[in-house]
Amino acid sequence: MGRSVELARIIDGCKSGDADSFAQVVDMYSGRCYGYFYRLTGDRHLSDELLSELFIRLVAKIGSYKGGAFESWLFKIASNIFHDHLRGKQRRKKLLEARRSQLEREPDLNESRFSDEGEERLDKLQTHLNRLDTDTRDLILLRFYSELSFKEIAELRSEPIGTALSKLHRGLKKLRELMEG
Amino acid sequence: MRDQAHENLIELLQRFMDEPTAQAADEDIQAGERFLDAYPALTPDARLIATIKTQMAVTAHRRHRIVRLVHGSLAAAAAVIVLALIGLLGPGSANRPHLSYAAIIPASIWDSDDITADDLDLAYFSSEIGQIEAQMQALDAGESEIGAGTLVDEFENELMAIQADFWKG
Repeated sequence: MGRSVELARIIDGCKSGDADSFAQVVDMYSGRCYGYFYRLTGDRHLSDELLSELFIRLVAKIGSYKGGAFESWLFKIASNIFHDHLRGKQRRKKLLEARRSQLEREPDLNESRFSDEGEERLDKLQTHLNRLDTDTRDLILLRFYSELSFKEIAELRSEPIGTALSKLHRGLKKLRELMEG
Repeated sequence: MRDQAHENLIELLQRFMDEPTAQAADEDIQAGERFLDAYPALTPDARLIATIKTQMAVTAHRRHRIVRLVHGSLAAAAAVIVLALIGLLGPGSANRPHLSYAAIIPASIWDSDDITADDLDLAYFSSEIGQIEAQMQALDAGESEIGAGTLVDEFENELMAIQADFWKG
């Protein structure tokens, strides 16, 4: 109860543009949001960018927060940011593929140009998480890092609770098999 | 296992599947989440957090200033509109004596029946126009001793001069 009162006070501060209140929100949620982005992307630099974007978007959107679970509202924005990034990535991928096929026809192609030079060494969990489809990975990580109830997660994702539960079970079962295998 | 909003996962699973299946699903979910616990993700760099806080403070300050500016402008506009309405529709506005909305033309002209007599410039222009009218009539009647082309040129020059004088005030 005390925590929710404190959070309400901080959010009121954010709504009136108080920099200290925004800083408190960052302290409270940056770790979990960063974990969510990092486990979704497996890329530290990209997670840095997404986290920055999340909190800047929070400043712009805090006026539209009308109560309810703040985590749900915040992770909804985080999820939208990730999906916006994915859509942008797909657009870039198409552009890159077009450029690649164009360069392949040229004799002086530098092959290392398209190597995954930015890719980090991933831990075992990240490697196996990456083998799950994006939607299931998002659901698993959303539940883990947002700490929301299933009902809230289902609402956030605009899908029936049974569907969310079934996807999560299948995803975590597969992750377990991969990790133990 | 994390206690997500104190929900009972088994109970929830049993709403959608039979008890043994729900037990197995619960075990799978818990085991999967234990791996997530066992491999903590990287944490954000302290410099990144500091940068984010600074960016948020700057953005919030800018947004707040813009909002204040917009509110201030709206308040000022509302005040002007209210004052204007009070001036136009307020008590005593109908009985206000000698209220003049157009000060460019001397008030005496509005009060007079003979405008040209009350205003020297207008009197001067009226006489010029009268003179031109007379000359035009003479030209039409063929009374003038001067050639028609020269007269037309003269009228044009005079008209241009009058126009220029008029706009000079």
